[in-house]
Amino acid sequence: MNPLAVLVLAASVAVTATLDLAGNARDPFASPTRARVFVFIRTDCPITNRYAPELQRLAGAFPNVEFWMVYPDRTENSDAIRRQMMDFSFPGQILRDPRHDLVKRAHVTTAPEAAVFDSENHLMYHGRIDDLWVNPGISRPVARVHDLEDAISAVLGGRPVRLAETHAIGCTLADVQ
Amino acid sequence: MSSRFLFALVLAPAVWSQTPVTYSQDIAPIVYQYCAPCHRPGEAGPFPLLSYEDVKKHARQIADLTGRRVMPPWLPEGHEFSSELRLTDDQIHRIAEWAAAGAPEGSTPPPAPKFTEGWQLGPPDLILEAKTAHALPASGADVYWNFIFTANVKTTKWVRAIEIRPGDKRLVHHANLYVDRAHSARAQGADGFPGMDPVFERSIFEPDDGHFLYWKPGMIPYSEPAGFSWRLDPGNDLVLNAHMQLSGKPEQVRPSIGLYFTDQPQTKFPMLLQLEHDGSLDIPAEARDFVVSDDFKLPMDVALLAIYPHAHDLGRVLEASATLPSGEKKSLIRIPDWNRNWESVYRYREGITLPKDTVISMRFHYDNSSSNPRNPNNPPKRVRAGNRVADEMSHLWLQVLPLGGRDRRMELEEAWLRHQLTKYPSDFDAHLHLGAIRLARLDPSEAATELQVAVKMKPQNPEARNELGSAMLAQGRTAEAIAQFRMALKIRPDYHNAQYNLARALIKTGKTDEAIELFRGLVTAYPNDAEVRNGFGELLYGQGKYAEALEQFDKAIALDASNAVAKKNRDRAAKALGH
Repeated sequence: MNPLAVLVLAASVAVTATLDLAGNARDPFASPTRARVFVFIRTDCPITNRYAPELQRLAGAFPNVEFWMVYPDRTENSDAIRRQMMDFSFPGQILRDPRHDLVKRAHVTTAPEAAVFDSENHLMYHGRIDDLWVNPGISRPVARVHDLEDAISAVLGGRPVRLAETHAIGCTLADVQ
Repeated sequence: MSSRFLFALVLAPAVWSQTPVTYSQDIAPIVYQYCAPCHRPGEAGPFPLLSYEDVKKHARQIADLTGRRVMPPWLPEGHEFSSELRLTDDQIHRIAEWAAAGAPEGSTPPPAPKFTEGWQLGPPDLILEAKTAHALPASGADVYWNFIFTANVKTTKWVRAIEIRPGDKRLVHHANLYVDRAHSARAQGADGFPGMDPVFERSIFEPDDGHFLYWKPGMIPYSEPAGFSWRLDPGNDLVLNAHMQLSGKPEQVRPSIGLYFTDQPQTKFPMLLQLEHDGSLDIPAEARDFVVSDDFKLPMDVALLAIYPHAHDLGRVLEASATLPSGEKKSLIRIPDWNRNWESVYRYREGITLPKDTVISMRFHYDNSSSNPRNPNNPPKRVRAGNRVADEMSHLWLQVLPLGGRDRRMELEEAWLRHQLTKYPSDFDAHLHLGAIRLARLDPSEAATELQVAVKMKPQNPEARNELGSAMLAQGRTAEAIAQFRMALKIRPDYHNAQYNLARALIKTGKTDEAIELFRGLVTAYPNDAEVRNGFGELLYGQGKYAEALEQFDKAIALDASNAVAKKNRDRAAKALGH
């Protein structure tokens, strides 16, 4: 690990006030991993729920990658979050981001939107999971481009991500700031 | 979220806006009227929009979706339809301005609207529930399932309203209800069957039921106006064709239907008139603007009450217009950006009077290019008409009420069948039905000509043989008629209608023994059919068997007290017996 990365890591611990469901501080960058995936979601966003099976698939396909489901709406109650995680079998660990620190660090604006960090905690990708939705009114019969999957593969393979930033379709996070 | 789009939207109105837009003053009235009917617990909307907190949590999203006119869902242009869910440009601007200003609440908001709980029209007279729930997977393509309901009514009922409860309104996108009088749906699956556009058999003299029966999110059940009730007979099946979207987890959907009856039998007879040209639907891959058209000239004055366009995912611009005999052209509907997810019946606020000789025109435009994101094929391929989601359709249904007081559906159906035959000259069903209608309209000669064509096309079809025999019998060609009935019965020995017709033909030729034999079988098969009882009684009376005849007439009258012929026959039989 180079000195710069240590610095970034140290800074992130200081400013990221992310919590677990019990309300305790939880730093998702604490443990070393080859890649970390954050998916920002809301309990009241139907497009989020329709991505649950795809996220399960990705978590199964990449067992060495950390998956986090991040709830940036501070008004959402923990029971509703637990229920959604269970009903829809979302993969990974739960994180709350009431101050939107992680939202800002991941440069995301939408639920659902994904962000991928590499082993040195650099943001390598943020944007849509795939191209299933064209706009909030139109979805394709099946996705043609699997952006998140491609980004994870690239990070694990040490390759640059082809498109480091894409436009996600869904519910606006700024509405729950 | 497209930030560029939002900018364009907010900057413009901010210039001319006078007072600051607030939730309480400006936004709540719009949201309560247009959004809350669906966006509340138990309804289709995925989150509630009933309070300031609810709406604030989606402020920018609402501005984006209303700006794109994705929400509220309303496809047609123009303002001629009732229950219109279309925001004005001014309302859209106000929402955008409010969201951009940080969604201020303002003074105390008005109270949330009150909605009727449970059945919207009160307790139904009859509730039917789907026999089994349909299981949906967590992910995949949309599901189309046909639920079958058996209407367990003991006597004929007149239905003035229905309420469809789709089971789970978050999953069901829309649903159409069909009356299946011939039980043809059951043959496709005892409890239900898949398919986007179900096909039912219709008996030859049964014009389509003439009513749009459907459910869509947020709708208030429709009560038919006086005289527009529809008939529900014992044993009829109802079939609910439901379009469902998957939620992300496995689900169960079990719809129910509430029926509301009236004592007032039907006195107004609307008809569902279909324009279509599926036969010309053969869209090459990458065709960007493939047009399907149909033009039908009305044989009588009608009032157009409602309209229902239907296409699958390649449909883009769907239009219909009417060219009046004066040359004046009226737009009937224009959908600039078709979306099957929000398909609907549209009822006109005021029925549109279309005089005789008006030409109704359908023009549907299809985009089979790869730039159509809904294209089911990637890469695009040639698409033709069919029932699967990946096939296409070009259907325009119009609910029309023939003017002139009486039931003129058969006349309209005849014109429609002749129109079908210009599009599809070898359409067996059209020849068969046209022949049957000509016969019912007392033209056995033209009927026989049409039915000969039908028989030639399908010599093994018992209905065509039976109808041709009936036309021949009406022309006095008794021997030929008997041959046709015998042929029909050779193909389908338990074809009771053909047995009845054969019995009547045999009576004319004096072969009464065989006729009596046939009638004995028929009264066993149809003990509750007053016509069969009366027919048998007449035969027995002709044979001098007055006591047996009297018994049949009595039974006919017990079954149908309004059967005047049976009453007259009964009096004659009683007199012959010296009663």
